[in-house]
Amino acid sequence: MGLLQTAGILLAKELRTEWRSRELVTTTVVFILLVVVLFSFTFDPSSSESRRFGPGLLWLAFLFAASLMLQSCFVREQVNDTLSALRMSVEDPFAIFLAKLCANTLFLLLTELLLLPVFSVLYNVPVLKVWPSLLLVLFAGSLGVCVTGTAMAAISAQARMRELLLPLLLLPLLTPVLIASTEATAALLAEAPSLRLDWLGILAAFDIVFLTALWLFGEYLLEE
Amino acid sequence: MKNLDSVLAAYMAGWAIFFLFYLSVERRTAALRDEIERLKKLVQKER
Amino acid sequence: MLKTALTALTVLFLIAITTYLAFFYAPVERTMGPIQKIFYLHLPSAFTAFIAMGVCFTANLLYVFRREHKWDWLGVAAAEVGLVFISVVLVTGPIWAHPVWGIWWTWDARLTLTFVLWLLYISYLLLRSMVEEGDKRALLSAIFGIFAFLDVPLVYFSIRWWRTQHPQPVILGGPGSGLEPRMRVAYLLVWGAFTGLMILLLRARYRLEAMRADVDGLRREVEAR
Repeated sequence: MGLLQTAGILLAKELRTEWRSRELVTTTVVFILLVVVLFSFTFDPSSSESRRFGPGLLWLAFLFAASLMLQSCFVREQVNDTLSALRMSVEDPFAIFLAKLCANTLFLLLTELLLLPVFSVLYNVPVLKVWPSLLLVLFAGSLGVCVTGTAMAAISAQARMRELLLPLLLLPLLTPVLIASTEATAALLAEAPSLRLDWLGILAAFDIVFLTALWLFGEYLLEE
Repeated sequence: MKNLDSVLAAYMAGWAIFFLFYLSVERRTAALRDEIERLKKLVQKER
Repeated sequence: MLKTALTALTVLFLIAITTYLAFFYAPVERTMGPIQKIFYLHLPSAFTAFIAMGVCFTANLLYVFRREHKWDWLGVAAAEVGLVFISVVLVTGPIWAHPVWGIWWTWDARLTLTFVLWLLYISYLLLRSMVEEGDKRALLSAIFGIFAFLDVPLVYFSIRWWRTQHPQPVILGGPGSGLEPRMRVAYLLVWGAFTGLMILLLRARYRLEAMRADVDGLRREVEAR
């Protein structure tokens, strides 16, 4: 069975598991909403200020939310040692990672899309007219977050204090994603919107580099 | 000389960091050396 | 005992040489005055920190593919020594900036990058402290180290482009511009001395890690009875 086929089956399993309880997406949405509201207390949310700070706080909220959401990624496989079963049943261990990072990216993207209209209303920022480009930026950024996040989740699941360790490992690595995504989003939400291909380029480079790194080294993260 | 105190502060701080690190490594090494001696004696005794 | 004394003497010798080069051999800079002398500590530390980073990355790769303990020992030694040099950069930068610019810190490209690198090193060391089992600790931290190293060029470019969009007072106004030959010689020699210092610190830290492995082995032997 090919890599993509295996990954597809595992991805379906991940999605089915989440669909049963829907707890991951709902709690993440509520968390981001809380952050967005709390941030509004820290500055004067006039239109020009919102355009300045909005994109940054949005992506910060996404990053924090992701580092919480990714906690359960590998820990839930430890409960009944389903990870060993997974490892034995697939030829290429990268399939496991591929499935998980696709699932995580989809969950994160879904929460972002649910939050976007709320953010737009609360901060008076126009998102509708640039939605295709915005979607592209959200996807490129979220993919970077989840590729790195899935790898770090696999690492922290095998260490102590994993709840605190995961953000500690993940957030410094995501510096380029935070900068590039914020700049690209800010350019799209500005008075004269533009799609910044240079920042998109950095996101694409980030995604490719870390996807390759995960492909090369992922199997060692799943060793006994 | 202008700003001489800043120059001195920087050099003292810099060298202090190197020195403190080296000191910490040497201290830990000495502690481990003692531990190795102690464990070796324990192993000898039980032989 | 003799080895420690020799090492201590070499370190003092290196300190003496760099101080002489920075203060007496190199001329006083025209615009900044004597405060520029801090650069003879600041810049070579930064270059040496990058060398340590390269050593750490190589050791991490070698451990993942060869699984020999000595690469793990070299990796953690290089990470700690690199952290020390980066700390020197982060401390000397603001001490220079305050009298010159009147501010302690600015988010200019170089300082921000240095801060992020410092955080990455800290994360590496924190990860190691959270994994008890030796082999697992070595493997997990090696892979994180590889990811961190691959991240560095991306961090560098994103911070630099970000700073060209939103300029800040540049902390190091291109000290390489208009460098007098004696200054250049002084920089190179001090950098050489710092590389020597790095190797000494590496060896001491590596030896400590090797000893730790011995202690673990002996402990297991004692408990086996």
